[in-house]
Amino acid sequence: MPDAIGGHGPPYRFHRSRRATMEDSLTQIAKAVVSGLMMGMVFGLVALGLTIIWGVMDIVNFAHGEFLMIGMYCGFLTATGLHVDPLFGLPVAAVVGFLLGLACYYGLVRFLLRGPMVAQLFGTFGLMLFLRNVALMVMGANPRGLHQGILVGKSFIVGPGIIIELTKLAAGGLSLAAFAATWWLMNRTKMGKALTATALDAQAARYMGVPTEKMNALAWGLGGGTVGVAGALLVNFWPVDPNVGLLFTMIAFTTVALGGFGSIPGAAVAGLIVGLMINVAPIWDALSTCLGIECLRGGQLHEFKYSFVYLAFFLITVFKPRGLFGWKY
Amino acid sequence: MEVLKRAFDFSDFPKVDLWVAGGVAVFLLAFPALPHSSLAMATMIQFLMFSVYGMGWNTIGGYGGQVDLGEAQYVGIGAYTTAVMMIRWDVPFWVSLPVGMALAICWSFIIGYPLFRLKGHYFAIATIATSLILKDLFESWSFIGGARGLKIPLKGDMPNFLYIQFRQDYYYYFIMLAFFFLGILYLNWFRHSRIGFQLRCIRDNEEVARSLGISAHWAKIKAYATATAFVAAVGSFHACYNFNIEPEDTMSLDLSVLIALMAMLGGAGSLWGPILGAAIMVPMKNYLGAWLGARAGLVGIDLIIYSTIIMLVAAFEPRGVWGLITRLRQRRRV
Amino acid sequence: MPRKTFIVVLLLALALAVPAMAAEEIKIGVLYPLTGGAAAEGKELRDGAELAVEIANNVKADVDMAMAKNGGIKSLGGAKIKLVIQDHQGNPQLGADLAKKLIQDDKVVGLLGAYHSAVTKTVASVAERYGVPMINDSSTSPALTKEGLKWFWRTTPHDTTFTNDLFVFLEGLTQGKVKGVKAVDKKELLPAVSACEKTEWGSNVDAAIKELGKASGFDPQVSLLYAAKAPDLSSEVQSLLAPKPGTMLFAGYGADAILMIKTLKSMKAKPKVIWGQDAGFESPEFVSTLGDDVEGIITRTVFSPRVGEVKKVSKQVNDMYKAKTGRDLSGASARSFTGTQAWVYVLEKAGSTKPEAIQKAANEIKIDPSELIVPWKGIKFATTGSDIGQNELGTGLIGQYQKGKDGKMTLEIVYPFDLATAGMIYPIKGW
Repeated sequence: MPDAIGGHGPPYRFHRSRRATMEDSLTQIAKAVVSGLMMGMVFGLVALGLTIIWGVMDIVNFAHGEFLMIGMYCGFLTATGLHVDPLFGLPVAAVVGFLLGLACYYGLVRFLLRGPMVAQLFGTFGLMLFLRNVALMVMGANPRGLHQGILVGKSFIVGPGIIIELTKLAAGGLSLAAFAATWWLMNRTKMGKALTATALDAQAARYMGVPTEKMNALAWGLGGGTVGVAGALLVNFWPVDPNVGLLFTMIAFTTVALGGFGSIPGAAVAGLIVGLMINVAPIWDALSTCLGIECLRGGQLHEFKYSFVYLAFFLITVFKPRGLFGWKY
Repeated sequence: MEVLKRAFDFSDFPKVDLWVAGGVAVFLLAFPALPHSSLAMATMIQFLMFSVYGMGWNTIGGYGGQVDLGEAQYVGIGAYTTAVMMIRWDVPFWVSLPVGMALAICWSFIIGYPLFRLKGHYFAIATIATSLILKDLFESWSFIGGARGLKIPLKGDMPNFLYIQFRQDYYYYFIMLAFFFLGILYLNWFRHSRIGFQLRCIRDNEEVARSLGISAHWAKIKAYATATAFVAAVGSFHACYNFNIEPEDTMSLDLSVLIALMAMLGGAGSLWGPILGAAIMVPMKNYLGAWLGARAGLVGIDLIIYSTIIMLVAAFEPRGVWGLITRLRQRRRV
Repeated sequence: MPRKTFIVVLLLALALAVPAMAAEEIKIGVLYPLTGGAAAEGKELRDGAELAVEIANNVKADVDMAMAKNGGIKSLGGAKIKLVIQDHQGNPQLGADLAKKLIQDDKVVGLLGAYHSAVTKTVASVAERYGVPMINDSSTSPALTKEGLKWFWRTTPHDTTFTNDLFVFLEGLTQGKVKGVKAVDKKELLPAVSACEKTEWGSNVDAAIKELGKASGFDPQVSLLYAAKAPDLSSEVQSLLAPKPGTMLFAGYGADAILMIKTLKSMKAKPKVIWGQDAGFESPEFVSTLGDDVEGIITRTVFSPRVGEVKKVSKQVNDMYKAKTGRDLSGASARSFTGTQAWVYVLEKAGSTKPEAIQKAANEIKIDPSELIVPWKGIKFATTGSDIGQNELGTGLIGQYQKGKDGKMTLEIVYPFDLATAGMIYPIKGW
């Protein structure tokens, strides 16, 4: 039975070429870090919607990854169906996501809130399976990827060989913009303040005249909309299939847990960290070449890249439930 | 003796229930003698397996009140223990079965201790996390075959009771039926036992339970260990029934979800609930698939139906089908 | 009255005789992935098998094969073959359940399939348990024939053969044996890296690459295993590109092969050689999705339409296939055709549908190379040695995607060196 450990490298080299290897490795590390950060910005956006819902009403949306998946399909279908550039899919996905969030609230979540916590958990879990299998039935199991577009497949080189893929860069940039917009919404508008009030203390907010029922619906709408946009951005470089939601649900949960439930800047920072976590394998590879240690090359670490995320969730929730910036647990 | 008395004590159930249960038991015993297709036999065996999975899940998810979405990792532990021991050291099934259960209990203690500091959603997600991590580990561990899985070779002539290898399915059916009955008896005992009362108390109001001196943490851990033992036992059986196991098949999240779903649908927290849930969902899954065929347009329709049912159940009757039955009964009485 | 009784007896005799004279139907259970990540290959496999059955069941004057002349299985009274096709979706568990159903409910005489080596493994296990013969046409993991199974035969060569071909080819590249390319300095081709999907098939390819590559000095510096269903391979590709590889070796199914190449493109990879161990690299989707990006990629295969220029019967069958489906035969459809063909010849030789008779016939049969559409030396299953049930006379080809004068991407043969149909493009254009 084969071992999954990577092959043996060439024997130890001379000093002269060692420096070249060192420069090489530093470039590799830089590449991996940049790549991880770019993905991290998108993860942050994915988690943003979740942290809003979680913060405003203590309900966990297990179907969060499925909202993302629907956003991805929206982006995909807009681009291939209307034969326009994928970027046009963004507003479509945002609107669809918003409406989906509202529909889920009024159609299901509203009833779940009355029941025990177990019911809430299973309710959104059922929603997750429902959305996933409807997608399976409608779109089929084959992964769909975007192959054409202004940004798709193109990249440019920065510095000594760090490759920046345009799709990921755009995704990162746009997600920063989305973050800024959300932050502005929550802190500078009346509606946002009402949302925050509901999150802090629903009873008191009601006394103050805040229509909490509508705020809950709004939170779901916003959550759905932001993650829809994240999906439309993601589909530029990540193929979509009905099962893609689970991984992102787990990533989103870890990001929210790390950043602190309910904290928007927390989600952004945590997203970056999670993005780096997933890229640990190439960073380790480069480091080990740099320092001349040949153990655990390649192979096995790659297979665990998502496990790091799961482990992080476990450790954070058990040992540091507040996360980095959280005010609510 | 006390133990046996408690295990057989079904007196607190209404007589109607006991008659129905008796009838079902007779049917189950007689089933292989009735004419059936291979699909029907496979469905019955799966029904029994999921009933026992569900009974295990119920211990922590129903009586314990903590929804566990990571049971599949214990299926894997049971299945792999049996498979590895059979392939490498020719150990008979009946020896590797308790070993698998013991390993599952060990693992449940190791992760249970930190896990039960969490509650509600966080607990559920953390169980998903541990399950996926273990699956990744198994997929990379070449000693147990990694992602390629393991294949149990035929050990001589069949029927072989030492290694439970049979050509006809009804042998497997009866072994699983035995597990099924043992499981019910065990759970009945559990219900009446001290730990059972403690769990119910904790589920109703943890604060009060603690004030009475019950260690909620340890009670839950013990319940979890019970659940994992059940599940690992069926996992060992699964390895022998299928001859081939791989992490994707025995430890996937889909399996964890199905186990929890069936138990919850049937009614978490009651003795008959998980069995009802399995009785509804397993035949639906197999036959819906067969009727609607593999017509590409309708792939996954069975899961769409379940998830809709789950959403309805969660919204309107969280105690599942059994809860519905109980509610109807109470209404009629009044 | 004697006359009336005579007529009645005659009528009765006729009534009894007619069903006996009517041709039987022989059912063969077929398991292919018709949905899921390898659905495109599954469709090819099915088309190939169905074409073989069409030729076997009818007299086709324009095909020079023994089975085209008979119109059914002659030794069984002209019985027609019927394929009962099931979709295992790439799931080994489902494959095993469907196999059981085919054996017990549909009462098939034997099994054919299943493409994914992981599924073939579980199905072969079921076949062995029930004593039902199985012919494997399309799975190449060497482990499948190393267990000494008594009810399993494989027509296609397996990965040890194919991987060996690869290294002979690479060495030939350094020695100038490849058509159209001057001898290449070995240093240009190093370091080699590999990435394989991690189930039964890919992990065996990975082991074969490491073992066989050592002898020729091409063993990979970085070799990774990844999940075929993985949606993102960027961290794997980063590690693969880190040592600036000259040769990149892959084993992947449909969707992940496409994803791998796309990721290489987005990371601006510039190796000299990219090689794929068939499967995803040969699927029609691979070419249609990636378009011009596949130019220069080499893949092992067992068939290319170019073989038709050398073998008449290949061209005849390819023309029929093209008329029916609009596509040329590929490695997948050629092998499923050959596997089905093997079933027909085995049944013909057995003269009975009893499992023991089929088993005996399969162990003794020898099919002449002129009967086959693939450029093998024939079909004969080993009955001794370490590879019981394996066809010892199969060979592989290595093809390279090149854009023809008509602008369409075709697979030109570059190995065996003497069968090469075009000069090799070296090095790959890269991105």
